[in-house]
Amino acid sequence: MIALGKPDRQTDVLVVGAGISGLQTALDLADQGYQVTVVERQPSIGGRMIALSKVFPTLDCASCITTPRMSAAAHHSGIDLLTYTEVDSILPEGAGHRVLVTHKPTYVDRDKCIGCRLCEYACDAEYPDPFEQGIAPIRAIAVPFTTAIPQKAILNAEYCMTCGSCARVCPTDAIDYDQQPVRESIQAGAVVIASGYALNALSSKPQYNAQRSGNIISPLTMERLLAPHAPHGRVLRPSDGKIPGSIAFVQCAGSRDETVGVTYCSRVCCMYAIKQAMLLSGALPIADITIYYMDIRAFGKGYEQFYQNAKAMGINFVRGKVARIEPVDSDDLLVHVEVTEEAAGAMQKRRHDLVVLAQGMIPQWNPSVASPVRLGGDGFVATPDATSPASTHVPGIFVAGTAAGPKDIVDSIAEAGAAAMEVSRYLYQHAARAGGSGTVPAPRRVALKLAATGSGT
Amino acid sequence: MNDKTASGSGPANSSAEPLRIGVYICRCGGNISDVVDVERVAEVCRHLPGVVTSNVHTFMCSDPGQKNISEDIRNEKLNRVVVASCSPFLHELTFRGAVQRGGLNPYLYEHANIREQCSWSHKHDPQGATAKAIRLIAAAVGKLRYAEPLDQIRLPNQRQALVVGGGVAGMKAAADLAGRGIPVLLVEQSERLGGQVNRWNRVFPTEQPAAELLGALRKQVEGHPRIEILLRSRVTKISGFIGNFQVTVEGQIGPAGRRTEVAVTVGALVMATGFLPYAPRDGEYAYHQHPAVLTTPEFLELLRHAPDAATLQFQGRPVRSIAFIHCVGSRQVEGVQEPQADGKINNYCSRVCCTTVLQQALTVRQRFPETEVYDLHQDIRTYGRGHEDYYIQASQAGVIFFRYHGDEIPTVALRTDAPAGAPPLRLTFKDYLTWGEELTLEVDMVVLAVGMTAGTCQSLVEQLKLPCGEDRFLQEIHPKLRPVEISVNGVLLAGAVQGPMNIRETLAAAGAAAVKAAAILAKEQVELNPYVAQVDADLCEGTGQCVEQCEYDGALRLVQVVNGDGKARQRAEVNPGLCVGCGACVAVCPARAINLNGWRLDQYEAMVDGLVAEAPALVAATA
Repeated sequence: MIALGKPDRQTDVLVVGAGISGLQTALDLADQGYQVTVVERQPSIGGRMIALSKVFPTLDCASCITTPRMSAAAHHSGIDLLTYTEVDSILPEGAGHRVLVTHKPTYVDRDKCIGCRLCEYACDAEYPDPFEQGIAPIRAIAVPFTTAIPQKAILNAEYCMTCGSCARVCPTDAIDYDQQPVRESIQAGAVVIASGYALNALSSKPQYNAQRSGNIISPLTMERLLAPHAPHGRVLRPSDGKIPGSIAFVQCAGSRDETVGVTYCSRVCCMYAIKQAMLLSGALPIADITIYYMDIRAFGKGYEQFYQNAKAMGINFVRGKVARIEPVDSDDLLVHVEVTEEAAGAMQKRRHDLVVLAQGMIPQWNPSVASPVRLGGDGFVATPDATSPASTHVPGIFVAGTAAGPKDIVDSIAEAGAAAMEVSRYLYQHAARAGGSGTVPAPRRVALKLAATGSGT
Repeated sequence: MNDKTASGSGPANSSAEPLRIGVYICRCGGNISDVVDVERVAEVCRHLPGVVTSNVHTFMCSDPGQKNISEDIRNEKLNRVVVASCSPFLHELTFRGAVQRGGLNPYLYEHANIREQCSWSHKHDPQGATAKAIRLIAAAVGKLRYAEPLDQIRLPNQRQALVVGGGVAGMKAAADLAGRGIPVLLVEQSERLGGQVNRWNRVFPTEQPAAELLGALRKQVEGHPRIEILLRSRVTKISGFIGNFQVTVEGQIGPAGRRTEVAVTVGALVMATGFLPYAPRDGEYAYHQHPAVLTTPEFLELLRHAPDAATLQFQGRPVRSIAFIHCVGSRQVEGVQEPQADGKINNYCSRVCCTTVLQQALTVRQRFPETEVYDLHQDIRTYGRGHEDYYIQASQAGVIFFRYHGDEIPTVALRTDAPAGAPPLRLTFKDYLTWGEELTLEVDMVVLAVGMTAGTCQSLVEQLKLPCGEDRFLQEIHPKLRPVEISVNGVLLAGAVQGPMNIRETLAAAGAAAVKAAAILAKEQVELNPYVAQVDADLCEGTGQCVEQCEYDGALRLVQVVNGDGKARQRAEVNPGLCVGCGACVAVCPARAINLNGWRLDQYEAMVDGLVAEAPALVAATA
């Protein structure tokens, strides 16, 4: 074993990822009294969920469910948040794991920044805002989004013109153009990987011609178009800003398809397509909305009823795997599909203004290059213990949420709770074996008091 | 209405300091502000009596929004706060936290719901919605005028747990809690642990024998120094509250196996009573009309004992063809299927049956290669990790798929005219993989993929007043915010008691329930809501009417008190742990001697005043 020296920081549990799974795991651990450090590669916590519009099947606004969790984590005395920080390695060390992380330069001294945004207002350089999926611009120095935590500016060196405007207006002298990456070594009793998911490329299926049309969009872009505080305030199609009159959802565009290398089901696409279709029919009452699907997988609690409601609302469900999407004049799209449910059957070409491709869910991060954790054949973290869905091959390293395979928010939150439970069990046993931090009471059984003897006597 | 009747209830503002109320109005990113004119609401509210600041924020619940409140409390010396946003169900606790962080008592806070009650319900009447929002806030401001600081009730916590049900969920929750150092009583009604999974053969997607998985779980609970297991037992009586549930268990306990009752007090309760497989009615798809119509659990039993052969044998006859029908007892359609005993249909998806069918179908094709398999489904829902592989493999193994519509379900008929040895069952259905063509299949066996239905925990549901959903499963508070909690504090939901789940999902849900129980039991004391009845001993005449009215055992009782003059008198006394704050007692007290903390009668009156104030009084304020 390599001698790693004294750690810069010690923590009971280190959680990789501050999306909904990571935050829930951290809160469930901190509520029991454990000290938790959460490492997040993005400048804000909140993960994918904070960028969603509304969530199925309750149609709650996603911000309203996510922001309180973010806030609770930020204010919890048992939780430390390290944002804009990458995990370099997780290696067994002593009774736990040594985690090496790199704090990436934000070019803003985060201790000094007060989130006043004067730098943002003074900045003249813009680039496509990643939070808005590129459909709106953001300044080269900015607080990432309205509800971000922490509310600290971050400078994107790729787009900064080093004009010095931000440094001139900053009231606390927080701008630091020379900031360098800082490495830190953290000793953790246990680690939870909650590094979430990414989507495979929009162009994964060449027959769909996504690279040839701006009107073939990602579902995450549709989330931003539908968000209550959307950049344009309404749904417009990207190529020409036209209000779309006919919108198509093409399901399984990156899953259940050997040709794109993803044979598994991504599990959430049916439901978010139905949800987006419902929200669209609210925003654009006269629009025609069609969902092309192979099977509608509305399996969760209340999901089937949600699907039936969508059908009753007049959303068209067409069964058939789309063969091809053909961009045509006036930026419209022709969807080639075999309609198996109508007597007229056979191949049809249907014209739409805008197409949403249900991309496949793939892992955001490969922890097997940074740790002894092993992956399953699908590339997600393997969970070999049949009685413990949160355990990996490595004792003391656990997994939560979509890092262990596609799943929706409800199931991610359940698994996050389970991961927190496994961790607390592991830490407790460890302390018990180590023979006495003094916090472990002797085994005690439930005291049963015999009541009046029953009739069997 | 403002003249105070001789109620004698608390003074208007007990801390004689002048009112300094802050009003915070949320846009909810547009959910509210697209309909309600929030700027105008803020302007009008700024002029309500006692209000010193009135602000609008895009997401009040976000960290910057909350910070705004706590900083104003410090900087503007606020002593009361109103937030007008979504339902208090979502965020009342969020804002109490923000108020507390600002250094103010968290009960000097009121929540006005201007989303569900204004912008969402009056979408087409922006003016009306705006006016209603103003009135709701005026009511909240009025109520706060008479608010007093309250403290959470702290009671000793019995730091041990009861787990009801010894299936996968119950064993997992018990093992998790005990593994964390918490003593557990695990109660199982049958003679052995394992629940429904005892009947199963192999677990998907690992193909591990179910007995092996159960063995691994049993090993974690049996003989554990912190787990007491009672088999052939059931919970007969339960009462109390979080931190202090009094439970009576009846069963064959002790070496003699006599029927005995034991009593135990626990701080938290995990409900893991599971599900029951759907039982088709007689005649549903010819069930019980022909022996070769089986349910999936029955078919599993047949597979367990059948020797491998070219063809599966059943009752001494070869089974050359089997048709599986999906969604039996699930995804039912009103008017198509007959309602269940309670008059409802099962319109939910049971989540596990698709993969179960494909696992069984694949087993048949592998073990009995000359038995043909047909699969009649609506959608194939192999959503889980590794589940899609069953679909792919079943297709490759020659299973033939048909797709029917939920409103045109297949029919199964007995072929009375069938010659000896010919298939005895005929299926008729429309297949939507081939343009809705009407097809007929003659088969030797039909297997009904039965769904999951709510289990039996009626006694506990009634005693604890646990809510159930339309689907009869126990209803969580919120699927994302509080997914394993139920409206009774201290009761957690583990596994299929809450809805259909597979084993992996059940294990995760049980872990999630256990971690919530662990958080409750990690503390020496439990903290309870202070909204309970309080008796003014000077006014109470001891009539006992409140006690008669009270629905909650032990929450209110009459006690003898001895006055200064040496005379004993009767007085009502509240047990704050058992009082739920329903207010039934308040309504019947002839002396107005009993009140609800946080919801006193003078506060109600002030709210009504706020709601009915002449519109000009509110509007004039802006002039």
